[in-house]
Order: sequence, then C-alpha cells, then structure tokens
Amino acid sequence: MTTTATQDPRETPGAGRPAREHASSGTAGASGAPGAALAVLPGVLASALAWTDAHRTRFALPDDVLEPHTQVNATLKPLGELAQLGSTIRGTTAPGAPEHELAGDLVAYAWEQLHEGALLLELLRAEPFAAYPYEIYAAFAGYGLRHEGFEALARPLTATRAWAHTEQHANRQLGLVNSERRVGVVTHTDAGGVLSRTWLGGLSEPWMFEGPSGYALTHTVFHLTDWGRMPDRVPGKIDGYLRTWLPAWADGCLESGQWDLTGELLAVAASLPGPAPAELLDAVWPVLADVQHPTGCVPETGVPVQDPAPDPYPFIDCYHSTLVTAFAAALSLRSLRQTDARTDETTPGRERHTP
Amino acid sequence: MDQKHASSPLAGAVHDLATEVVLALRSGDHLATVCGAAGIDEENRTGIAAVRVIGADLLLPSVLYGRHPHPGDVAVLDRAVREFPPKPDAPAATAWSHWHMISTLQRMAPPAPGAAAPGAYAEPDAAWLEEAPWQAFTHQLSVLAPLAVPAAPSAVQRAAANRAVDLSRGFVRAVRRRDWLQAAGAGRWLAAVGGEPATLGLERGLDFVEQMGGHDPRVTLHVRAARLMAEARAR
Amino acid sequence: MFTTDTTATDIELDLDAALNPGEVEGLYRDSRECAYLALLAGGGALLLSPPTPRPKKG
Repeated sequence: MTTTATQDPRETPGAGRPAREHASSGTAGASGAPGAALAVLPGVLASALAWTDAHRTRFALPDDVLEPHTQVNATLKPLGELAQLGSTIRGTTAPGAPEHELAGDLVAYAWEQLHEGALLLELLRAEPFAAYPYEIYAAFAGYGLRHEGFEALARPLTATRAWAHTEQHANRQLGLVNSERRVGVVTHTDAGGVLSRTWLGGLSEPWMFEGPSGYALTHTVFHLTDWGRMPDRVPGKIDGYLRTWLPAWADGCLESGQWDLTGELLAVAASLPGPAPAELLDAVWPVLADVQHPTGCVPETGVPVQDPAPDPYPFIDCYHSTLVTAFAAALSLRSLRQTDARTDETTPGRERHTP
Repeated sequence: MDQKHASSPLAGAVHDLATEVVLALRSGDHLATVCGAAGIDEENRTGIAAVRVIGADLLLPSVLYGRHPHPGDVAVLDRAVREFPPKPDAPAATAWSHWHMISTLQRMAPPAPGAAAPGAYAEPDAAWLEEAPWQAFTHQLSVLAPLAVPAAPSAVQRAAANRAVDLSRGFVRAVRRRDWLQAAGAGRWLAAVGGEPATLGLERGLDFVEQMGGHDPRVTLHVRAARLMAEARAR
Repeated sequence: MFTTDTTATDIELDLDAALNPGEVEGLYRDSRECAYLALLAGGGALLLSPPTPRPKKG
C-alpha cells in the first residue's frame, strides 16, 4: 500500500503517534536554540542530494512511458519533480559548491531521460489537450532547457479559450500561470485573481488547516514564488498571515509525523520576502534532521526506521519527501544566510492585530 | 451524580458542577446556588474537591453578570480554599488557581468590617510563564482559564495579554489536536485579553469548539464565558 | 451526599491530577478525498499533475 501524506496516520501500522518522540522539540515546545537550523542544514541538504543521486536511475523513464496504461504518477511525475526541485536547488546554491554541481547534474539527467524534450513533444502529440506535459516542460524551460517543436505545438493550444478555462483547483491554476511565465508566453489570466481564490489567498481560518489544505497552501506559494525564486511576489498580507500561523501548523505536522508536509511548510517559510523566520526554522529543522535516515532519505509519513541499512523505505514512499527536504534545505540556507548578511534588518512583521 | 463518563468520583462531581455553572451562565439567573444544584455542601469532601477544581469559576455567573454571589456558594468556595491549600511543592498552576480563588472571594464577597483579615496572598511566581514555549504556555494558560475574567488583573493575565499571538497559535494547535478543552481555555483567554490576529476567526472557532467538545461541560463553560466577555467588549 | 467510601488520599491524588493535568494525546485525522476529485494523487503531494484519463486501447 502506498502511504500518502494525507491519510489518517492511525490507519498505517507504525505511523502516527509514536512519532511523538521524534517530535519532542515541537510538541514539548522546546524551540531550537538560535542557530540550530544552520547547524544541521548543510548536512541535511548534502545527504538528501546524495541519496537522490545514488537513486537517480529510479527516476528513469520506462520504455512504455507513452503507453496509455503507464502510470504517469509513477514515471513522469517523479522525473518532473526531480527537475523542478533540482533546478531551484541549483539556483539557490553557490556556483562551485558540490550541491550546486550535483543539482545541475540531476536536472541534466532528467532532461536526457526526456530525450532533450523530444519525448515531451511525443507526449503532447499523444495527449494534446492535457495540461501536465506543459507543466513538466515548464520545469525545464524555466531552467533554460527548451525544445522548439514542443513550443510550436503548445503555442496554438495555450492560446485557446479552452486552455484559459481548464477546470482545476485554484492553486493548480496558479501553477499553470507560472508555467506560462516560465515558457514566456502571455498568461491566460491574472495571477492575483487566481490567488484570491486559493485557501491561502482567502486568509482562511488557521484552525481549519489539515493535510489537504496544507498541500494546497504550500503549492500556492510554490507557484506564486516560482518555487521559491521570487519571494517578493508574496503580498504583504499573506506574508504576515504565514509568519503568524506557520509555527502552529508545523507543530502539528511534527506531532503527527507528516514529514513531507513539514518539509513543504519549511520551504514556504524560506520563500517569504524579508528576513528568515529564524525561530521557526530553528525549532523545526533539527526535528526533521533527526527523522532523516543516515543514507539521506526522509519518509513521507510515520515513524522513522531506525535500521541504518540502505533503502529502509520503498522508493515511492520517500523520494518525494527527500526531494522536498533538499529543496526546503537549500531555500532555508539561502534565507538564513541572506538574513545574517542584512544586519540592519528589522524584525519580521507579523500580521496586524485586532484593535 | 452523572458518572457515565466520569473516570472517578471527583471527575463526576466536576462534571456536574461545571454543568450547573453553564446553566447559570445560560440563564443569567443564579439566585439558586450552583453548589446546591450540584448537590454539594460544606460537608461533602468530593464536592469540595470539585469546587477546588472548578475554582473561582464557581462564582463566574456573578462575576460576568455583575451580581452578588449566593452566600452558599461563597461559603463552599471559601471552604475549598481552606481545605485544599497548595502544598509547598505544588506546581505553579495549582498555586495560581488557589490564589485566584482567594482573590475572587475578596473581590466578590469582601469580609464584613471587623471580621478576621484574610491571610496573605501574594501572587505566585509567573516568570516561568514568560519564558515558556508557546505550546506549553497555551496549555498552562488553558489550565488557568478561570483567571481569564474581566477586571481581575494578575501576572498571568499580563502574560496572556503580552503573548496573544502565542495563545492564538496555541488555539490553532489545540484544535488541530482535537484537544477541545485546551482550545476552549485558550479561546477564553483571547476573548478576555484581546489582541488575537484578525485572521484567527475566534468567534467561529469557538462555536466550532463548542459543537465538537460540548459533551464536556467545562468546554461549554469556557466558550460561554468567552462569548459573554466578547459581547461585553463589543458594547 | 457523603463520600465515605472514598479515602482522603484518593481524592487528593485525583485532585492533584485534576489541578495540573498534562496534555491529552493529539488526535489527527485529515479529510479524505473523493477519488475523482483527488488533489493529491499517487504516492504523495501533487507537484505537477494528477494522471490524465486516457482513451482505452483498441
């Protein structure tokens, strides 16, 4: 059975409550000391990337990837995520750093798997009215890897009324807008209007947060900020809202062993404009570092395996959370180091209080 | 006494007593004694212990409606203060709830002129509250929810007012954990001290907590107290 | 009602616990999603897209 990050942890043997011991710094309330995040982050990033590199062939596409029976979620989705998160990691690490080089290698590997885009064109010819080939392509286009033939076919399609009226969740529509921006075409609608229809954009009551709204929220921020590259696109109201409520949400994810969502929330925290929310990063990163297996992988949910032997989790149950951990770690390092560099910065503004 | 859901005689007595306080809060009529309705008099040790648990909230209807408390309730509360003083090594929360019972008695039912002066009741220590992480802070404040009443200044109340955002986070955390009693207590504090972020949606949140956790009358008690205080603030 | 069957010690132990209770165990349960509306598909969070329904072969 595949464990999803949103299911009831109690339904999965070994998942859920026993995670408490790992969540102690979250639930017992002992927030990490200043600098706690920076102390673990370089190791977390290096180790998660090393695991990904060592398992890169698991992202390889099967020969029948274009066949109708092949599961996209087990083939193209992981590869697209490898490219998307790898390109952000490359963009947020310094040239020459091992992580920078490795992340670049991984994106190049993913591009090779797609035959430098030719396979995506084939996919688009097979399913011309689907949005996902375009979204996967955009992960590469934003990085500078392009395929002329793909864009030639996509151009008339993305200019249609039907494309502009694709029915989907608001956070995903924001993803489509971001894909259009990355490819460089006129966006089919205004991002601000779509943002206001998301759970996050509506400044939803924070006590209604749970797994599904949590993922909707993290993806809203990822698409809005182009995967953490453009923190300044986060409007002030949403910035204040997130700074106010992220600590409460992250605490619950730690206690319930939702490591994948924890990582995504950390990536969100590190994608905010202005100074890093250091207190939150210092409280949560040491816990996630503790959950990370010595080989670098991070389980999606549940009690972490203590066995140091390699491959403690099935690939499908840990690749995503491991990529997310690396992505969030790279963004957090950038955010914390920029904050350190800006010594004259004032305290981050929280949301305004009621009078 | 309804002990269907009670794990001990004390828990059953607390349940019954909280139910009576809720009834008095709902009707605004407390000419009858809360303790009397709950079948508690000064000779009933379990009942007195239950009054010690409910604490100064025994007089909450009088406090919130600005009326004189029933002498019977005052006598039982006074008895609980004397019967169950905090031990020297008692946790701070225990010392604080005891302190607040005395302070409420003095405010609501001052001794007659010439009567024996009340014992010293210096505020217990509250420095630990200022340093507690927001999770533990909210939990402790929720235990001390009876102190969340208007015009009853204390170091605990000042700490709550200074850390309204932390309390709001604690409210959110408590709801996510489905700890309705803690959520109700935190929400009551926020209603008392204000300052919660506008996006919290406290009013709807408390309605939700009452619906989900209302089988515990202490949850209803805190939510109703919060609502009465919020209404008073809005006036 | 007198509680002659309950010893003072019992009451005091219960009272100490009631005056200073620890936190209850958190109870977590997320909403489930109805299959065809799934936002989160496959092994975890949707990063790019859910599977697109495809025409059957032959």
